[in-house]
Amino acid sequence: MNIFCELALSFIKIGFFGFGGGFAMIPLMQSVAVHQTGWLSPSQFGAAIALGQVTPGPVAISATFIGYKVAGLAGAVVATAAIFAPSLLCMYLLEKFYLKVRGKEITQAIMHGVLPVVAAIILIAAISLCRQSTHSVWQAGVIAAVAALAISRRVSYGLLVAGSMTVGIVMAFICR
Amino acid sequence: MVKNYTFTFSSRQVTLYHKKIAIHDCQSIRMQGDIIVVSGKISHKDKAQGLLPANDVTPTTREIVWTWLKIGTIGFGGGYAVLDLIHSELVIKHGWLTEQRFENMTALSEMAPGALTVNLLAGIAYRLGGLWAMIAATIALILPSFLLIVVLAGAFLAWQNNLVVRYAMEGLTAGVVGLLIAVVWDMVKRIPGHWCCFTVGIAALFLGLVFPVNPVWLVLMGGLAGATKVLVLALVAKKSAKGGPNL
Repeated sequence: MNIFCELALSFIKIGFFGFGGGFAMIPLMQSVAVHQTGWLSPSQFGAAIALGQVTPGPVAISATFIGYKVAGLAGAVVATAAIFAPSLLCMYLLEKFYLKVRGKEITQAIMHGVLPVVAAIILIAAISLCRQSTHSVWQAGVIAAVAALAISRRVSYGLLVAGSMTVGIVMAFICR
Repeated sequence: MVKNYTFTFSSRQVTLYHKKIAIHDCQSIRMQGDIIVVSGKISHKDKAQGLLPANDVTPTTREIVWTWLKIGTIGFGGGYAVLDLIHSELVIKHGWLTEQRFENMTALSEMAPGALTVNLLAGIAYRLGGLWAMIAATIALILPSFLLIVVLAGAFLAWQNNLVVRYAMEGLTAGVVGLLIAVVWDMVKRIPGHWCCFTVGIAALFLGLVFPVNPVWLVLMGGLAGATKVLVLALVAKKSAKGGPNL
């Protein structure tokens, strides 16, 4: 199959199933880009997600990185369009039929079933990311510190990401 | 900004965003600073006390695109942090939508797949300017991040074997794992405390860890489990209603 078709199809699928916020897309992207196709190595995937956090936009922008890695600038455009298209389509449909689905018990129940699953798959993605690309004590420290600070909500996500990158750079000079 | 009031009640029609809305059974109208508060029944939506902008404050597509571009440029941090920014830009500064509409729209965006902020802003843009405004505004929203990440991706792929870059990325990846843990924590707190939800979550965790299942299937199964629960409860309720002595 043409690489662009493959990118478009994969990311449209991810876009449709990313219920529960942008972070829900991370396990789906990992499954496709690392486990199924091998487009990215585990550490490159870590970089894709990390860079997605550095930019002002949503997490889903990591798709751009993957598309760029696989097929250059055109790949980046295709992947980005594909991952955001389902969101737009769903918002359009929800706007049109909002009154029909709002407050329906079944809609609520489906979301209640999906939410725990999304929490579980994000946790699985975190575990596999951790297993594949962290191998030193200082990284464990960064994980614990970032998790604690993010949960306490005292520091913004952008700042935490910048901080963990700084720690990495400092460690490069220490360990060399 | 709303300045002069060109609001005619004689025709009982006002322009709210890009839709015509008729007001029936108007109970009260009062001025509140720059806005007119109307209580009554509003056509096509349910009975509401609506805060209608006094003027026709429908922005042009160009205004929408510029504002979305601005949010896309300074909206660092993602998720709920950006929600405040969106609120202050659109509700407080421009007054393009009311507090209540903003809340409704947020709830709606949580039902659609994908990033909350993208969904929310797409929904608002659609409300304000229609389908094409929605598409143009979304492109404007993600353009800054897109350009930035293409540059960063190029730089990373070129220098990924450099020692400093490698360590920086290792630090970043560790930070992301930390963030993911925090996100999971937040989600677990939001999960309704029903044993069904916990069972589904633990089952998904187990399946995903032990077997290399595609997460898409897990999400589908979660939705199915939720739907089944409601159907079974409805069925049980029906049966007990039939067999019950009082009914």
